[in-house]
Amino acid sequence: MLSRPLAKSLRRSFSSLQNVQKAAQTSSIENLKTDHGKYKALSRAQVAYLDRAIRVDQAGELGANYIYAGQYFVLANKYPHLKPVLQHMWDQEVHHHNTFNELQIQRRVRPSLLTPLWKLGAFAMGSGTALISPEAAMACTEAVETVIGGHYNDQLRCLNNQYEMETTSGKQGQSQEIKDLTSTIKQFRDEELEHLDTAVEHDSHKAVPYKVLTEGIKLVCKTAVWTAERI
Amino acid sequence: MRFLKRLAGHRLYHPNALEHEAKHAFAPLAYGPNSLQYKVLNHTLEKHVPSYGFNERALVASLNDLGLGSSVLSAIGADNSPSFLNVPPSVLELAKFHLVTKRYAITKELNSATASLEATQSPTSLGTLFQRRLELNKPVASHLSQLLAILSMPGEFLVKSALPELHRLSDDMIYFSSEADSHDFAWYSKRVAISCAFVSSELFMAQDKSPNFAQTFEFAAEKLHHVTKLGQYYTNTEEYMWYTLLMSINLAKSQLTRS
Repeated sequence: MLSRPLAKSLRRSFSSLQNVQKAAQTSSIENLKTDHGKYKALSRAQVAYLDRAIRVDQAGELGANYIYAGQYFVLANKYPHLKPVLQHMWDQEVHHHNTFNELQIQRRVRPSLLTPLWKLGAFAMGSGTALISPEAAMACTEAVETVIGGHYNDQLRCLNNQYEMETTSGKQGQSQEIKDLTSTIKQFRDEELEHLDTAVEHDSHKAVPYKVLTEGIKLVCKTAVWTAERI
Repeated sequence: MRFLKRLAGHRLYHPNALEHEAKHAFAPLAYGPNSLQYKVLNHTLEKHVPSYGFNERALVASLNDLGLGSSVLSAIGADNSPSFLNVPPSVLELAKFHLVTKRYAITKELNSATASLEATQSPTSLGTLFQRRLELNKPVASHLSQLLAILSMPGEFLVKSALPELHRLSDDMIYFSSEADSHDFAWYSKRVAISCAFVSSELFMAQDKSPNFAQTFEFAAEKLHHVTKLGQYYTNTEEYMWYTLLMSINLAKSQLTRS
């Protein structure tokens, strides 16, 4: 039952979203050809930041995917009322993960060197908290999504501030590539924060060592983000 | 860790080429195809390296051909740190030039080939690119052992140029071929395996006496086949282990609920 969403194939069709994105891309390319020339090359620092952003987001979504896999594995049959909730969140994470996987291949970013560790750690974290109690699992979700939401916001801030490019004809603006990335991250951030609300609705605050759990997991997540950006 | 980062971190985010200008024509080299350095090094590589090998004599010979003074020699080597004991910096630059231009050459041919037959043509296989790169070595084949010696000398050049360039080569071969790329640790192991296959094929080529290097290409195809097969073994094992793990957990759970 676990192997289904973990399989690499994009079984779920997110066709509507992809079509919209594709349409946006093609239209922007046509605009480019008619309107103004190309944007100037990104600076080394800008390129390095994008590189890091894609890598850490991919690793993060991989982690999220495996956390939900762990939770689902433990909780789905014991607490049938949680099953659809977890399934919904997990499916969204799988979609996020696939999106960043595609970006990683297209933009030729190397993945994090520690992916085996992220997989193992995330699955252990998800199933471990779920084994304590369903509330603890929700507290785990809450902590993780808090960190991820903040992290995405930081990225959005940087993408907005630092990527005003000049075209060869002297116009200012953001390239469609950056705009697409920004809108993707925005959408994902909103979905992650939705998960946060879902977790709170499902009694995450009633988890027994609540403070210890959430603060501990937040610390782990922050360390993981810091590491995945670099290695 | 620093060392690893340096090695692996050189391939940075590629902005899309439709919207952004490309930064350099030959990225790790600091000069473009219209520069003096390019002219001299290209001339050397084509005319004099096949006879003289990778050394200063070849460079001086082409400087004479082009009517340039010998001071250009030091300008060419300016990017590399001076080395008193082994290879002169200008020769290091020549080796680097060889690696970088040959790497671009395999994908350039690909672009012009796909541009004409775009829709109908299926993408090039990894093996084709691999063989094409080896074919570009043919003119300098008798001096390959010398080149490999220069490249593998422990030192700054090895870390800053030779190894990253090898990594970029295998990265390019995977990216531009029909080979499926991975999102996890396999990304690294695949590149390392292909790099190893390439270096061992080059070593074989350096010793190869068969007509038109037929044995080298045989050897290379076999090596590459081994690499892909090994990758398949690994994926299959991983999949099977994961399946077995979940099956056994589920079995245990079902037995527990029954009793």
